[in-house]
Amino acid sequence: MSRENKDVLYGLYDDEQDLLKAVDQANAGHLEIMDVFTPFPVHGLDPKLGLAESRLHIAGFVYGALGTLTAFLFMTWVFTRDWPIIFGGKPYWSVPAFIPITFEVTVLMASVGMVVTFYTICGMAPGIVNPTLDDRITDDKFCIAFDVTGAEDADKDKLKSFFTASGASEVNTKTI
Amino acid sequence: MNQFTFDSRLKTFLIGFMVLGLVCLGLTFLVDDELHTRFWTNYLHNTVFFLGIAFMSLFILTAFTTAWAGWHTVVKRLWEAYSLFMVPGLILLLVVIAGVVGHFHHLYHWTDAEAVANDPVLDGKSSFLNAGWYSLGSIIIVGIWIFFAWKVRQLSLDEDVNGTTEYKHHHILRVWSAAFLPIAGFSSAAVIWQWIMSIDAHWYSTLYAWYTGASWFVAAMALTILTVIFLKSKGYMDHVSIEHLHDIGKYMFAFSIFWAYLWFSQYMLIWYGNVGEETVYFHHRQQNYPVLFYGNLILNFVAPFFILMRNDTKRKYGTLVFTSIVVFFGHWWDFFQMIKPGARLTAMEAIAHHAGEHGHEAVEAAGLPFAMGFTIPGLLELGTMLGFLALFAYVVFDRLTKASLIPKNDPYLAESLHHHVEIHGDEGGH
Repeated sequence: MSRENKDVLYGLYDDEQDLLKAVDQANAGHLEIMDVFTPFPVHGLDPKLGLAESRLHIAGFVYGALGTLTAFLFMTWVFTRDWPIIFGGKPYWSVPAFIPITFEVTVLMASVGMVVTFYTICGMAPGIVNPTLDDRITDDKFCIAFDVTGAEDADKDKLKSFFTASGASEVNTKTI
Repeated sequence: MNQFTFDSRLKTFLIGFMVLGLVCLGLTFLVDDELHTRFWTNYLHNTVFFLGIAFMSLFILTAFTTAWAGWHTVVKRLWEAYSLFMVPGLILLLVVIAGVVGHFHHLYHWTDAEAVANDPVLDGKSSFLNAGWYSLGSIIIVGIWIFFAWKVRQLSLDEDVNGTTEYKHHHILRVWSAAFLPIAGFSSAAVIWQWIMSIDAHWYSTLYAWYTGASWFVAAMALTILTVIFLKSKGYMDHVSIEHLHDIGKYMFAFSIFWAYLWFSQYMLIWYGNVGEETVYFHHRQQNYPVLFYGNLILNFVAPFFILMRNDTKRKYGTLVFTSIVVFFGHWWDFFQMIKPGARLTAMEAIAHHAGEHGHEAVEAAGLPFAMGFTIPGLLELGTMLGFLALFAYVVFDRLTKASLIPKNDPYLAESLHHHVEIHGDEGGH
């Protein structure tokens, strides 16, 4: 998968409250935000950016239900059809004995399934290096990024003045 | 409004239900067998259930305080008020204790001196299962709980008046809370064995106390949701938002699963081990009380698990109230199935014995036909439960009037007022 390089203009904020206010101002000024990066989940940010709620949990439920069925039906098949053995005088189809394994496989499939799905959605896999704008956005900085590929200087100035007005502590450009 | 007023309409309403409860208890006494088994089991069932909710509220409060939790501060006055029900709860329990000492009920097989003398198992347990332990143990242990509830309440009320920014009250409260936790853990197990598990006097399970405690915990959370929503509908507790209810809903959900985990662990180990003296408890219930046995799992695990799994069902009054009612009733049902089958057997054996027959053989010959109030809860049981619930609510509302609903000098109040759990929610920032 090839991808065009992007020129990104981004501003760093010191506090999540400044970030939330800045996002409001950007929305009011009809500036098209490419993305926002924060070191931790900021409450109330998603609706301001117009992001829909994640559907990952629905996938998780489906994986979990699949795990339940897989484990339970497999054990049922093994112990009633394939290789019936009497354990401790119990019936072949001993539901209570199946429950712990059913539970474990449910948890395993739900968790592994969600991790794989999440990595796929985010385009992450072993060996893929995702460009970061600034290492400090994983620590203590809050970042708003604009895509300025091929933009006019006037537009860039407008964005820079937005950063200055909204209290960004730093403004940089980077090609990623 | 931060000051609750217990208006006379609500008082009349609750007193009406208490009268209904008394009438139901009286009617039960009249239609009962000669040992009044149904009456006494109903009385014990409700006393233990509501006393346990009061105890568990104190446990919740002290556990949260010890864990430096802040979110619950706006509802903590409610749990303080719940915990004070232990005083009337102990008074109710004194009647059962008097019955054990004075031999005027047949709830416990081990109170029968003749049976103990002829039964090596009961004889071996008689150093713990005896009237002295039952009466003094219950009174001393619940007395200690009440002392802690009183202490926690006093500190909290005094903080409202004399609280400073040095938060001395809170520091002292933290020490008392931490001290209560181990005491509560060990002592609750002892009284649960005495009050409930010893009804099936031959049987024992080391998981039983946890399982019963989890039942109280979920019931306490369900009752908290119902009370908060009721108070909000009356215009009180504006500060308790859907964010707090969401968290209490999570506790209800999580501990429903915890309860099911303990229930299943106890069941599976006993089923797997297949030792007759252990399996008798479940075998008896599964064979003769299938409605109680399976209903218990549906009400307390299947229903809350599937209803509360989604995020939004914990953020809507409708689903929260519905699930709270189901789960509260479900745990009342759970205690019903813990108490009734065993007490019924004890009574049947005692009656057969009085008639000059051999207890065991007579019971086996008679079988266990359907009996209202034992096989399933009847209308009299429901009425009795509503009576006890009204008494509980009366005491709680009365305690709530004594203090502001907001503990205004609590160091965690600001954190609680700004509590916000939904990442995707609309309310950004503070």
